Amino acid sequence: MYNFDLLRNVTIGQYIPTGSVIHRLDPRAKIVGAALLILAISFNQSVVANLLFLGVVLVITALARIPFGYIWRGFLLGLPVLAVVFTMQLLFLGWADDGGQVYLTWGWLRFTRYSLHLIAISLIRITAFIFLTSLVTMTATTTELAHGVEQLLTPLRRFGVPSHELALIVTISLRFVPTLAEEVERIMKAQMSRGADLGGSYWRPDKTVRGLLPLLVPLFLGAFRRAEELVLAMEARGYVSGDSRTTYVQLRARPLDYLAVILAALLTILLIWSPFPALRALLAGVGIHGL
Amino acid sequence: MTPILRIENLHHTYAAANGAAVHALRGVNLTVAAGEYVTILGHNGSGKSTLAKHLNALLLPSQGDVWVKAWNTRERRHHRAIRAAVGMVFQTPDNQIVATIVEEDVAFGPENLGVPRAEMLRRVEDALAQVELTDYRHRAPHLLSGGQKQRVCIAGVLAMQPQVLVLDESTAMLDPQGRQEVLAVVRRLHREQGVTVVAITHFMHEALDADRVLVMDQGAIVLEGTPRALFRQTDRLRALHLDVPPITALAQQIHARLPAFPPDVLTLPELVDAVAHLTATPPLPAPPLPLPAAPAAQDAPPAIQVEHLAHDYMLGTPLAVRALHDVSLTVPTGGIVGILGHTGSGKSTVVQHLNGLLAAHGGRVVVLGRDLAAHGVDLRAVRRDVGLVFQFPEAQLFERFVGDDIAFGPRNLGLPREEVRARVRRAMTAVGLDFDEFKDRQTFALSGGQRRRVALAGVLALEPRVLVLDEPTAGLDPAARRQLLAHILALHGQGITLVLISHNMDELAALCDHLVVLAQGRTALDGPPTRVFADARALAAWGLELPAPTAALAALHDAGLLASAPPLYTVAQVADYLAQALASARPA
Repeated sequence: MYNFDLLRNVTIGQYIPTGSVIHRLDPRAKIVGAALLILAISFNQSVVANLLFLGVVLVITALARIPFGYIWRGFLLGLPVLAVVFTMQLLFLGWADDGGQVYLTWGWLRFTRYSLHLIAISLIRITAFIFLTSLVTMTATTTELAHGVEQLLTPLRRFGVPSHELALIVTISLRFVPTLAEEVERIMKAQMSRGADLGGSYWRPDKTVRGLLPLLVPLFLGAFRRAEELVLAMEARGYVSGDSRTTYVQLRARPLDYLAVILAALLTILLIWSPFPALRALLAGVGIHGL
Repeated sequence: MTPILRIENLHHTYAAANGAAVHALRGVNLTVAAGEYVTILGHNGSGKSTLAKHLNALLLPSQGDVWVKAWNTRERRHHRAIRAAVGMVFQTPDNQIVATIVEEDVAFGPENLGVPRAEMLRRVEDALAQVELTDYRHRAPHLLSGGQKQRVCIAGVLAMQPQVLVLDESTAMLDPQGRQEVLAVVRRLHREQGVTVVAITHFMHEALDADRVLVMDQGAIVLEGTPRALFRQTDRLRALHLDVPPITALAQQIHARLPAFPPDVLTLPELVDAVAHLTATPPLPAPPLPLPAAPAAQDAPPAIQVEHLAHDYMLGTPLAVRALHDVSLTVPTGGIVGILGHTGSGKSTVVQHLNGLLAAHGGRVVVLGRDLAAHGVDLRAVRRDVGLVFQFPEAQLFERFVGDDIAFGPRNLGLPREEVRARVRRAMTAVGLDFDEFKDRQTFALSGGQRRRVALAGVLALEPRVLVLDEPTAGLDPAARRQLLAHILALHGQGITLVLISHNMDELAALCDHLVVLAQGRTALDGPPTRVFADARALAAWGLELPAPTAALAALHDAGLLASAPPLYTVAQVADYLAQALASARPA
């Protein structure tokens, strides 16, 4: 038996409304803050600094009052990535030149001081990444984020960056996610009522695709029809792209938003320059060895 | 009278998918005065939607001219002004909403017009208040009902402060309640704000609000007049694939039996007046009670038995909602059972249990002697025996040729070629599509009504013993509706048990021998139509209406003209009774 109704509730980014102080931040502050922190951690080579950073992320999570269970789910989602990174580094980093002290050699594997160090850092780093990015989507609705990105990009309009159009595309796609999910469910049920066996066999991908045609053809036709009608409706409402538009949503930054960005900036500076040897590592081409 | 819209000799030609030129409009002349309410009727494909799109320059004339106020739509520089002056609401609310939050969608039009923000805030506020959605301003549109979504679309147009509101079949996809909501808003805007309305519809009774009604056929206006003048021409309307409003149909049937009765009655109050006028000594006596139809001897076990069915959506997540609490119903073999209830009452959820698409979370479902919850029950066999036709089933078509699409079901059964062919032929015949003529036609080039019938044939080709239809006639024009219902009744004649979900009380009244009313996921009423429709108050409490003839009797009873409201519910029954009662009570 299919669990149809789980399909309908596809949520991108799973917004979790707890009304916390983090939620009430301006979306721009969240985007800029998260970007700064990601920058900071990307260039840092110290295990201590990375642990410190992970601690900061956990504090933000607590402030946002996001239940631990959701964070855990986010972590599970990243687990395959972690496993791949771990394996690759284990296999290759051990044989890098100048690996420092060799702890153990076993067939293909060689554990050196250097490789263990980098593996520890990248694991902490990816965990922090996952937490940080899911924190953004958990504390800001997709609509808020779209507006945030739009307004952040507005100064770039004069260089030809279509900030408004990009935001509109994102908004419209999000708007149609539940509509199309509902349609998928309906068509699936209709075809199954006609004896269709959707899904097919795992071992015969050619059959699977064929089996999906009764689902995909109506879905795409429907989507095209919707798109056509949407274009008409937008045109009827006088849609024009360009500078003559005004905007309804206006984001207003409050002192707290500035404070959040300043804190993130301070932490970034702290992590990159002092007292850890990050600048030196950067010059040595960290990007090649680390992540 | 200052004309606000002026159309002169409008032609519109476009190239169809196969390259042939289609003349959608052939010389339309039309003037609409400021403050007028005009309704345009016409069957599907008559050109009415094409005409609507010319009213705000979404389409431009192939020949002839369209003026909005002083602007010719051919002049591109006026397009923004034209679109601000003529607001347009389309058929499917889902496909018009741009934003993920209600108030932001309403603001979309003013944003495009470059309205300053302070003014925009006021307009959005105002527009939401007009359609009574202020409390929903921060909601996501996909969580609203159909009627609410369409009101969001109207608000989006109102925020542009148009002088003309064009409704292009804006009520076609809504349930009766949603339709009422939308019409109430439009009526108020017309009366209180003086907004000019051009409404396109194929619901005849919606034309009653209009000052003037136009009927289109083959791209031209063929009839024009006040609603009263127009609905006198029943035969002409039927020939144009249209109909008259239900109350008028009743009046005409009474007139046929009693010539003194006026045939051009449009509304309930008028009907009450007409009866009062002909009644010397009210109240009229009740009819001799019709003999209750002897219940068919129930030798055969019921086709479907649902007992205390419960179902939860999103079971096992924090978002779990109980959709069905306690639903019980019986579908006798060979019967026609109607399921009714307002949107969200659980109708669609119930029928998806009947062929095992959904599993019961409580209670049990027994279909043709098989308990669906039993271990190892063959759900594919159940789906073969219980054909389920979804709402707007033409959306499930996917093959290029009609024959192939209908053959999809039988081929899934693994039947031999010849048998598949024979089944496709039988299924097509059953829905009135000639096998040799239609089997190689392109599915997507058919009309809406034909595609609906192809989809129905696709289910019939499984040769089910029970056929479940969810809103089979939704969105069809009156002619296609009549035709489809005739085919469905013929299927019943061939021994197929029918389960019908519908919002249309008149349809249910005419077809079903047993009705089940669902409310909030429970069986609320269950019985023959006479009993279900006798409980008008209960039906109203669940957001349901009475069939028009029954509602007429109730109104006459309330006016003191009838001794009692007899339990009659079809046009013919009620016309017989009233004609007879009036004839016997006439002043000598």
